[in-house]
Amino acid sequence: MTANTGKPARAIPGQPDMWVLVLFEALVFTAYFAVYLFHRSAHSELFLRSQARLDPRFGTLNTLLMLTSSLFMLRCVQASRAGAIRAAMTSALITGLLGTAFGVSKITEWIRLVHGGSGFTSNEFFEYYFFLTGIHFLHLLIGFVAIGVIACQLRRRERRSQEVVETCATYWHTVDLLWVLIFSLLTW
Amino acid sequence: MRSIAWHWRNNPKRELWLAWYATVVFYNIFFIVFFPVTHAQPPPHPGWSDAQVAYWFARSHGGLLAGFAIMFAIAGLTAPQNALIAYSMRRMSVSRAFAYSYLVMYSLSALPGMLLLCVVLSVGALRPGRDPAQLHWLYDFGFLSFTGTMGIFLIGSLVWMLAILLDKNRVMPKWFGYLNLCNALTEVVVAPAWIFRTGVLTWNGLISWWINIAVFGIYTGAFIMQLRNLILREDFGDGPLPSLAEATR
Amino acid sequence: MNAQAKRRALIVWLILSAITLAYLPLDSWVDSQGTYRASSVVTTIAILLALVKARFIFREFMQVRNAPTLLGRLTDLWVLMIGAALLGSYFLGLGHVS
Repeated sequence: MTANTGKPARAIPGQPDMWVLVLFEALVFTAYFAVYLFHRSAHSELFLRSQARLDPRFGTLNTLLMLTSSLFMLRCVQASRAGAIRAAMTSALITGLLGTAFGVSKITEWIRLVHGGSGFTSNEFFEYYFFLTGIHFLHLLIGFVAIGVIACQLRRRERRSQEVVETCATYWHTVDLLWVLIFSLLTW
Repeated sequence: MRSIAWHWRNNPKRELWLAWYATVVFYNIFFIVFFPVTHAQPPPHPGWSDAQVAYWFARSHGGLLAGFAIMFAIAGLTAPQNALIAYSMRRMSVSRAFAYSYLVMYSLSALPGMLLLCVVLSVGALRPGRDPAQLHWLYDFGFLSFTGTMGIFLIGSLVWMLAILLDKNRVMPKWFGYLNLCNALTEVVVAPAWIFRTGVLTWNGLISWWINIAVFGIYTGAFIMQLRNLILREDFGDGPLPSLAEATR
Repeated sequence: MNAQAKRRALIVWLILSAITLAYLPLDSWVDSQGTYRASSVVTTIAILLALVKARFIFREFMQVRNAPTLLGRLTDLWVLMIGAALLGSYFLGLGHVS
């Protein structure tokens, strides 16, 4: 942030390359969603009946956890940019904890559904449900690696790369972005 | 003609170009054989009955035998391709272990990832009078082995990705490293093909095949382009590669 | 650290959380109506709200707002494309009811 003009220079946060991943994955997931929605409206009765087995409170909680984790990831980047490394580390840690809470909540929801008789192969709706939440979970796990990379970068005294920190943050927000879309489509 | 002869004798990059052209030729033949000639791709349906499978073998009979005969003849072209990719990792600032492990993994992966399907479907097509139940067995074996053994490709993609992201010699752009991650994830999307015989997650399903193949196609196009750029920029040094603009001035 | 930026992030988070919680009454509205038509209204609203959230995440959390205009236009284009694909496939599917 420049003090003289008061307006920050326009720059892409992190490596511009990461945006290739972000936009590409968004497209691929949109393709999955389009297939899901098409089949859903073609078999709406089965899908609506199955959707009723989902507890919307789980989905809402998960979304709030994801959004809050994104907030703390942003705070981590802002702190790191300002040189407040300890604050950045704390924010990164909280992001990780919220992400873990999301993971635990998701697994709990899966177990509940499977025990309730709704598994991956139970019907068409749950095929999509477990597939989409499963592939998202995989992205979440990669997100934990990204947080790990951020933590490593923050602990360095020399050759710390703000660019790498922001690149990893961009990835984490993508996990949030994808979840927001999944939540709206699966629960409603 | 004289220019080609001169390059053959004098161009220090001739082996690299040979490997690159081998890659391009291989993928073109692969596409022609697997799609219009043998009709093995897009894959036929896993939910078919014995009779339907037998009919598919009968209908594609000539194409299967001729097409896969060509594949067996040119299967060796995967070697220069894997070598070129491994070479890209050797040129990077990262450990040589990346290049060597990729080479081993991808050399082995051609077996379940391509050859097994060719062998099994050729066996099925060889004797037209086979029992349809037997043909169905071969059919399942072939297509499941082709689609379901993506684990090696997954790990290989991650190895290349890691090498690219850690590399300080700017051999490959970082966005291509991230694209490797996208490709790796498609290998996971294919895994449900072992479980489903109907729906979008089958070995020929809308998600597990069609969307996947689109991603794979983009990825393949990208790496062929990147390997070409690598060869153009190669200075046979140890440090960062010059940019494409600098190298082709 | 810029206090204004912190406050802005918090406000964005509050808006996004509010939109998320706004989904819950949608659910009970469907149950009370229980008709097929009601659900397509809910689905459309759900998709549109998701797109609003997505754009917020792009512009505020991923800081596209402070990035070169090209990235801003690209992400807006993406939000539009996603919206078109989702609504398009949903309504196309309705026309293919089996």
